[in-house]
Amino acid sequence: MSFELVVPLTLSSSRYLLPLYSFTPLPLYPPTMKLLRILLISLLILSASLCVASGAWAFCGFYVAKADARLYNQASQVAIARSGNKTVLTMANDYQGEVKDFAIVVPVPVVLKKEQVEVGKPTILERLDAFSAPRLVEYFDPDPCTPLVYERMMPAAPTMSAGARKDEAARSQNLGVTIEEKFTVGEYDILILSAKESGGLETWLRQNGYRIPQGARQLLRPYIRQQMKFFVAKVNLNEFEKSGYQNLRPIRMTYESPRFMLPIRLGMVNAQKEQDLIVYILSPEGQAEVTNYRTVKVPSGNEIPTFVKDEFKDFYKSMFQTSYDREGRNVAFLEYAWDMANCDPCSATPLNREELKEAGVFWLDNPETSPSSGRLIPRPFPIAPSSNVFITRLHIRYTRDKFPEDLMFQTTTNRELFQGRYVMRHPFTGDASCSAGKQYRRSLPRRFEQEAQTLARLTGWDIQTIRRKLPKIQAQALTWWEWVWFTLSPSSPLS
Amino acid sequence: MFRDARSYQMLFLCLFLVLGIATRDWTLHPGIILVAIATCLVTQWAALVVSSQFPILGSQFNPATQTIATPATPDSPTPSPPHPFPSLPSALITALGLSLLLRTDHCSTMMVAAIAAIASKFLLRFRGKHIFNPANFGIVAAIGLTHDAWVSPGQWGEGSWYILLFLATGGLVLQKVGRWDTTVTFLGSYACLEAVRNLWLGWTWDVWLHRLTSGSLLLFALFMITDPRTIPNARTSRILWAVAIALLTFILRNIFFLPTAVFWALFALAPLSILLDLLWEAPRFEWKARELRVES
Repeated sequence: MSFELVVPLTLSSSRYLLPLYSFTPLPLYPPTMKLLRILLISLLILSASLCVASGAWAFCGFYVAKADARLYNQASQVAIARSGNKTVLTMANDYQGEVKDFAIVVPVPVVLKKEQVEVGKPTILERLDAFSAPRLVEYFDPDPCTPLVYERMMPAAPTMSAGARKDEAARSQNLGVTIEEKFTVGEYDILILSAKESGGLETWLRQNGYRIPQGARQLLRPYIRQQMKFFVAKVNLNEFEKSGYQNLRPIRMTYESPRFMLPIRLGMVNAQKEQDLIVYILSPEGQAEVTNYRTVKVPSGNEIPTFVKDEFKDFYKSMFQTSYDREGRNVAFLEYAWDMANCDPCSATPLNREELKEAGVFWLDNPETSPSSGRLIPRPFPIAPSSNVFITRLHIRYTRDKFPEDLMFQTTTNRELFQGRYVMRHPFTGDASCSAGKQYRRSLPRRFEQEAQTLARLTGWDIQTIRRKLPKIQAQALTWWEWVWFTLSPSSPLS
Repeated sequence: MFRDARSYQMLFLCLFLVLGIATRDWTLHPGIILVAIATCLVTQWAALVVSSQFPILGSQFNPATQTIATPATPDSPTPSPPHPFPSLPSALITALGLSLLLRTDHCSTMMVAAIAAIASKFLLRFRGKHIFNPANFGIVAAIGLTHDAWVSPGQWGEGSWYILLFLATGGLVLQKVGRWDTTVTFLGSYACLEAVRNLWLGWTWDVWLHRLTSGSLLLFALFMITDPRTIPNARTSRILWAVAIALLTFILRNIFFLPTAVFWALFALAPLSILLDLLWEAPRFEWKARELRVES
């Protein structure tokens, strides 16, 4: 009732998820591909605010730094736009170190040519993040002595930040490593390698100045045997300076493959602890889910005390950790599933057509991919420059022991809407001297207690500490039967 | 306790449904479950009525098939009273199976699946035996004919205590029905194939274990592939058949990357049971209240 304020929890606006996700690469199976490349991908660099906090970096694959600094994967963001076997994969880059030391190795399903790799705009993953972030919604109780007259919603303005030499080739051949493609895109020098055996690939990478983490060799083998290729990128400093950007931009790959997966195994080689990965899957059909792990919704819709507004990021972090532990640490969490044409409440304006294309959506102009009729969902918000794009935001926190296998996905036709949404209701603080007003005031202590217990249950925080932060009400609390009557009464703000 | 193995099956499937809804994060609507049950029962009843008028359509009450079942177990001394519609429990099992496995947002889609499942039993027959597993046929029909049905292979998770539950309950039903050979062969050969792949690729063994402890795979192996009315009659045939399904599942999953490979494999190989029955003759399985396994 009354005002509704939406406080989005975005990756770029918070330290939560600082360890942004890290995971491995893109899979694809080489043969049996048709000729399709439409997809775009963009790899985003996390915002500078994130970069400050720790010396971590995350990506689909492992980092192979040329410097001896220890590099970890801690967090990554990936957007995957997929229709049929066509895929556009955008990897955000939150590398936090000297740009000259940046280097990555990512298994990819097919040989990528220059026109299949692009550098994306740094803002596109921030936009996806802002649109899909778990949100805190704020309501203000009306004056209990006055009939309700208006209802309004105020969307918060999110920060919308907006050929190798011959001898080299011969050496490569001896090691069983073939440079399939070599090109420069934006600030990245990119090689697409294929290899016959993991030892040769490891030697080649070391000889060429890439620092391979211990234990990588064993993990390279399964990808080689599955005929996957290796996308190897490092920064071309001249191009980087020319680009004028402060941070590395996202890398976007376009390919076609029946494989719909993200290899996380490689990314765990140089990870010390659990890593977070956020995957935005854009589909013309409906929700995406993980097929070889459970997909679980994050708790949502709970009413929590108003003081959480100032510590929403801590709240979400604790709540996520509690849910993660409760579910056995081996599930993928669904944080958002929505038609991208609208939102309710919006934590950011829906992406426009150009932004969707930048995020990799390649089917906007193709009427065949519009959602099937007969399963239309009511749209609380009109608008819609695009109604055939459905976004799924999955948050996966993984460790080596609980996630032995790479992540496999599927898109379904499930168009059920879901959002991680938390509600706080500000009590009416004006003078309410009518009898309904007195009763309203007496109802508040019990309501606050319920909110406190919900908060304690969700986050594992100490209930006494929470209670101390609750607003103090000078009124005798309602007895339980009065409470029941009050909550059922049509004039109750709770009804 | 129960004399009909189907009673156990119904009980366990209901238990899984309740557990799934209560403890797993399922997009499952009670209304759709009721639609599945109602549609299956009504379709079965209607088909029975019609087939009794036109015997060519079905042989549920064909005296010839009834006489094949010769009671012979020592623990069933007294004959049970004839059930007016002895195949209604089967329809209920089909409905529960569909509810457990098939996901949709719309009742109409579930009705399509349920009608297709039951109708397949009456229309797609060979020598009086239906060819396809009804629930499997319903799933494939719903996915193929509508655009809003899907299967969530990850819905049970992996490696939880559900595995023990599935193994225990499934084992009990299989012991009653006498079809444990199919499950063991399927799981064994599939595990071998995955082990070879794992070894060849060089993955650690926890990858292999993770793939095999999928709740959905076990549910399939223990409760769907073992339907005694649709699988081959002779043990040799069943073993060959289970190996074929494991092989096809393996291929579909690892070469064509189909997450729902098991269902497609069973669907594609169901007609093979006709051929196997011709090659290795054995009496058909009949659900009998007293006689769970017929070896006449």
